Amino acid sequence: MTDERTQTSLQAGLKKSTFTLFLATGAWVGSTAIMSFGPSTLWSYDASTTYLAIAANLIIGLVMLYSFFKHLSAMDEMQRQTHLEAIALTLGITMVLTVIYGALPQARVLENVQPTNVLFVIGVSYILSVITLWLRRTRA
Amino acid sequence: MKNRLKVLRAERDWTQADLADQLQVTRQTINAIEKGKYDPSLPLAFKLAALFGMPIETIFSPDGE
Repeated sequence: MTDERTQTSLQAGLKKSTFTLFLATGAWVGSTAIMSFGPSTLWSYDASTTYLAIAANLIIGLVMLYSFFKHLSAMDEMQRQTHLEAIALTLGITMVLTVIYGALPQARVLENVQPTNVLFVIGVSYILSVITLWLRRTRA
Repeated sequence: MKNRLKVLRAERDWTQADLADQLQVTRQTINAIEKGKYDPSLPLAFKLAALFGMPIETIFSPDGE
């Protein structure tokens, strides 16, 4: 009865999209590092090279976004819904925490804030949301 | 939403993996539908109905019924 080809094609599609997303994310992280540290270490603040690095980072970022959409499309519907709900949760958590974090310097709790810390909140919220929502649906 | 998926599957002596393969979803999705933890999309419900050869309303019913 079991037609292993179908399950394999679902898994193969997901494996392929995961690998593509991994490559795109790696390229984006690399291009972000070059854009951030390149001006001071590689091309002595040459403006045109910096603009080129920014443009490359933007394009690779869009490729990463496209890869993520393809990855979502490769999932089966419950996996996709779990991820979309996790994205919604992450948006809400990030919004609430960012507002609090942004108000801390004004309240003189912190001297200054680092916008990149928001990325950490997004990453952790997303991972925890996916795990929690998936376990809620699959746990016996 | 309630469903008779587990019964219909057992009548045909299919495993969750068998059904998942035919519907191109994961086994976890079939398990979650059977346990009422996940309501399938309309396209997936139609696929199930076609696979079992019966109308959707004989497989799925609202919680109150």
